[in-house]
Amino acid sequence: MRRWLPLFLVLLLLLTILGTTVFAAEKSGKITIWAWDPNFNIPVMAEAKARYQKVHPKVEIEIVDMAKADVEQKLNTVLASGAREGLPDIVLIEDYNAQKYLQAYPGAFADLTKKINYKDFAEYKTELMTLKRKIYGVPFDSGVSALFYRKDILAEAGFKPSDLNNITWDRFIEIGKIVKEKTGVAMVGFDTADGGTMRIMMQSAGQWYFDAKGDPHIVKNDAIREAFLTYKKLVDSGITKTTSGWNEWVAAFNKGETATVLTGCWIIGSIKAEASQAGLWAVAPTPRLNLKTSVNYSNLGGSSWYITAKSRNRQVAEDFLNATFAADRDLYQKILVEQGAIGSYLPSQNGPAYTEADPFFDGQKVYADFAAWMREIPPVNYGLFTYEADSAMMTVMPDYLAGKINLETALKRAEDQLKNQIAF
Amino acid sequence: MAEKLPPLTLSSLDKKRRKVSFNNRYGWFFISFCLILLALFMLYPIISSLIMSTFSSRGMISRYVGLGNYKRLLHDTVFLQALKNTLLFFIIQMPIMLFLALMIATLLNNKAIKFRGVFRTGIFLPAVTSLVTYATLFKMMFSLEGFVNRFLMTTHLISDPIPWLVDPFWARITVMIALTWRWTGYNMVFYLSGLQNIPDELYEAAKIDGANALQQLGRITVPLLKPIILFTAVTSTIGTLQLFDEPTSFASGGVTAATIGPGNSLLTMSVYIYNLCFKYMPNFGYAATVAYVIVILVAILAFVQFKLAGDRR
Repeated sequence: MRRWLPLFLVLLLLLTILGTTVFAAEKSGKITIWAWDPNFNIPVMAEAKARYQKVHPKVEIEIVDMAKADVEQKLNTVLASGAREGLPDIVLIEDYNAQKYLQAYPGAFADLTKKINYKDFAEYKTELMTLKRKIYGVPFDSGVSALFYRKDILAEAGFKPSDLNNITWDRFIEIGKIVKEKTGVAMVGFDTADGGTMRIMMQSAGQWYFDAKGDPHIVKNDAIREAFLTYKKLVDSGITKTTSGWNEWVAAFNKGETATVLTGCWIIGSIKAEASQAGLWAVAPTPRLNLKTSVNYSNLGGSSWYITAKSRNRQVAEDFLNATFAADRDLYQKILVEQGAIGSYLPSQNGPAYTEADPFFDGQKVYADFAAWMREIPPVNYGLFTYEADSAMMTVMPDYLAGKINLETALKRAEDQLKNQIAF
Repeated sequence: MAEKLPPLTLSSLDKKRRKVSFNNRYGWFFISFCLILLALFMLYPIISSLIMSTFSSRGMISRYVGLGNYKRLLHDTVFLQALKNTLLFFIIQMPIMLFLALMIATLLNNKAIKFRGVFRTGIFLPAVTSLVTYATLFKMMFSLEGFVNRFLMTTHLISDPIPWLVDPFWARITVMIALTWRWTGYNMVFYLSGLQNIPDELYEAAKIDGANALQQLGRITVPLLKPIILFTAVTSTIGTLQLFDEPTSFASGGVTAATIGPGNSLLTMSVYIYNLCFKYMPNFGYAATVAYVIVILVAILAFVQFKLAGDRR
């Protein structure tokens, strides 16, 4: 009997290997996915699901559509409670929040460093999901920032498209004054509680609210100082249209009350929603700050897919994301056309949808432009406390804009507030 | 041992019965379900959150800080602003609302008014409308080019549009108006039911003695309504200190915006708790501390109100 034991063991080993390879080909199981936005992330995921299930019909995929705040609320409570149940296999996380989740819940998300070929993704995206040299998550959409403008309104004020290419914020304000004077249309919508523009400005200079060590870096931050000055110039110049909340802001450009929209490229769907303005829009890179380090490329928003480490079907989830968002170029063409979703998967950007001229933008190849600009976005480590910092900035902003406090006081107050907020 | 029998009175009988029922196993058995549930879902969370408030956490990582969180509150400008905002609503909006409710109730209690039911229903209706619906409508009405500004400008009451919702001061005013609109009718119903218990004879007698309407209100209505006024004051205090819905719905972008209202002008303590848990780095310990501050404040304010109302019970 003893003599047969090694042979038996070898046989068993062979059988196991055979078994796993056979079963690996035939994936099965159920994975649950949490995401938000029924006009964007949900249909994108549904498309990926349909494509994956064609090859792996035995895999069941449930996409749960929730509000963004609800996804975050549920994720936080379940992760903090330490419960194994109740978590999805794949969850969408906003890029600004990535480091917060990775560091606050160590071991909660799957390390995908060796599973995904990260060289295929835009550098700034993989940077923000890297923690201690391990990369988590599969990069999804890009928030490459852009200056959308109404060609007709700017032409009326005497500006050619080339006049808006690679300009500074000061030039933007100058143009805005002339536009306002000649056409009566406000240059840009402005929301007092929104810190998005601030983030675009900062990242264009490769800066963030925090330094390399993760400490608040506000009072001595050139980019933030310049951004504050620009905010004030913008508001004082009278070229902004004050709006409150997303709906009013979108309505302003849909109704033709603002000549430009300055935000992430994902706004394209909302711009195109106003079909009567087809052919009137064009896109230019965002303005840069008066700093040597500042470029005309930046980012606003964007999110990525993460796999929970305790997922029962982790391998299926990994295979699913690998086969779709990290390999399927056609998927990216489809979601670009249908949802205007611009992925950060670089090989997809040579595809037909990216190089096509868009009649809504009077034949401009906007997606090719976005793809080119995306590669130029300065990588930034968002750190753990983007929203705390955002809140600190915008809390002092109204008083600063109204001239009640000067720049030094405003920045000092914001930094103090932020320091207290992130105390542990 | 000669036991002296106590005189047989109703209260002594009562005591005896109480003693018996205290040892009654069936009685305990029947209420045990309720007690267990109460302990599980009321007592346990209260104690657990008190313990939690002595920890500072970043997600799963937490450390014991003792009273550190409570000390941190004193220097937390965001918390102090939230406290200030909440107390502003409490000091300004609540008295106006309760006063209005009392006035309307007195008016609608007048039997000479026709279609009283219609008015009562109309004024109570806001309390049962859906929050989202009314918040959306109010936001539209109070937008820069909304109905309210247009009305005020066409009637030449103002020359420039009022920056409702985009200026810190006016944002608070807008929410106060909205809160008053929504909850006045609710409080009015309590006053109305109280008023109907005041006998008409008192007013008739007062009239004969030559008391005018104001004197009747001050000498008859208010004193007799005191328990109800106290009740509405305490419930409104609790509601105001826990204010969450209106600030988040009226602030642009709700909880996803950088601040709650322009310059954090609509940030209340409850919204701050939400932010600490879900929007910012999740610090459940610190959030529990803020929650305890609300509890303590409600307790203090309710106590003061009971004292002011002269209720000795």
